[in-house]
Amino acid sequence: MNQNSFNPKARWDRFEPQAQGFSPDGLAERIEVLAYFKNSRIYPKTFLWNGKEYNIETMTYNWQESFGQALINYFSVISSGQLYQISFNNSTFRWQIDKIIQ
Amino acid sequence: MAIRIEPSLNSMILHIDMDAFFASIEQVINPRLKGKPLIVGSRVDKMRTVVCAASYEAKALGIHSGMQSRDAFNICPNLEFVAADQAKYIWTSEQIFELLQGFGFALNYASVDEFQMDIRDYTEPFKLAREIQEQIYANFNITASVGIAKNCPLAKLASKINKPKGVTIINDANLKEVLSLAPLTKACGMAGKTGQILMAQGLKTCWDIYLNLPGFFGADGNPGKFEESSEDEISQRPKSISHSYTLPNALGNPIVISAWIRVLSEMVGERLRRKNLTARTVHLWLNMPDKGDFLAQKTFTMPTNDSYEIYRKSLKLMAGMPKKCHKIRALGVTASHLEYQDYLPLLVEERRREALIKAVDRINARFGDSSIFPAQVILTRK
Repeated sequence: MNQNSFNPKARWDRFEPQAQGFSPDGLAERIEVLAYFKNSRIYPKTFLWNGKEYNIETMTYNWQESFGQALINYFSVISSGQLYQISFNNSTFRWQIDKIIQ
Repeated sequence: MAIRIEPSLNSMILHIDMDAFFASIEQVINPRLKGKPLIVGSRVDKMRTVVCAASYEAKALGIHSGMQSRDAFNICPNLEFVAADQAKYIWTSEQIFELLQGFGFALNYASVDEFQMDIRDYTEPFKLAREIQEQIYANFNITASVGIAKNCPLAKLASKINKPKGVTIINDANLKEVLSLAPLTKACGMAGKTGQILMAQGLKTCWDIYLNLPGFFGADGNPGKFEESSEDEISQRPKSISHSYTLPNALGNPIVISAWIRVLSEMVGERLRRKNLTARTVHLWLNMPDKGDFLAQKTFTMPTNDSYEIYRKSLKLMAGMPKKCHKIRALGVTASHLEYQDYLPLLVEERRREALIKAVDRINARFGDSSIFPAQVILTRK
């Protein structure tokens, strides 16, 4: 990376703790997910949350973020017209629902 | 070492500028936001933040980056709002960079949403630009504008002329025509006060800049430098390392202000250590809503990359403030006079301190940034 130019790895927000407060969107609850892995990518198909099964109709976007040695895979998915953000931690193998997107 | 490509007579730069990058990604993630005026704010509180990015629908209403979100909502009360999540923008930027590398040209980041490609001697730049746009859209469902010219500043300007989804070529034949039609504010660095000053002096278009500021667009014949990114460049020594932060509310409590200085010192120190650098000079910047800026710096005999030392030096600088305690709105810590760390601590206490810092850095590297931090930092989270 050219040090004199932009460095995307220099995360300017990473250490800046912001008052968290109560966020109705933030869930961070464990879920069970049925997914398939193909061509080094993950495709979640359904997830089970609070005893209810959610069928994923569309994955609108996915991205990754490193956190220490862990790599978190994020997915924005639509189920029954509602948009959710779910994530998979590749070091703990934990799936979680991060938030319901309004 | 950086791979530096020397300018030549056949220089040709292709500048890719993503269209409303953050807002476009948010519109892809949430299809409900498509076609709606949308702003991406730097904080969660939508009425007390700054516009990081605006969708084209919001831009059409006069909303732009850098504007107070409150002002944006005054223009459009039904404005959609999303708090910025840098992870997804950085990931997308890196993916686009990888995609562009596949074209086989020397490539460089210009910013999180801008990329420069050295396409000298390539005979079909317009076709290449269209292919790049198509591939970006096919992979990410977002659009980009492309500018092509003989040097970096002109190529960047060209990318801004025909947004969104545009391709603009500036060559010797159309240089005067294109620059005469482009308002001065389109030129890099001219959107703010500098542009206003020049406009007050009668300069209206980019052609006026070209005529009056020789060298701004490479008018002196210098086609501009282009440095290709390479992994080794990370080892290049920067001139300074800095972190600043604008507080959600102006603070008057010196204990909490000190805690914020500690946070920024930790960030600066961590980056210094990651690059095996030490700093001799520490700068402190405090912004007071009622008094303006307080700036102080001091060069010390012993260079350091210990965050706690940087913090203590910053506190010494803060002691030079006017006696009356003012509220602070924004603050920054900078380390400069950087040099590579080439000495080993001799004193037992120094060695213990270094071992402690290394252990903390290892924990944070393994479990994520800020997994372990000084207790004082807690004061900033209330």
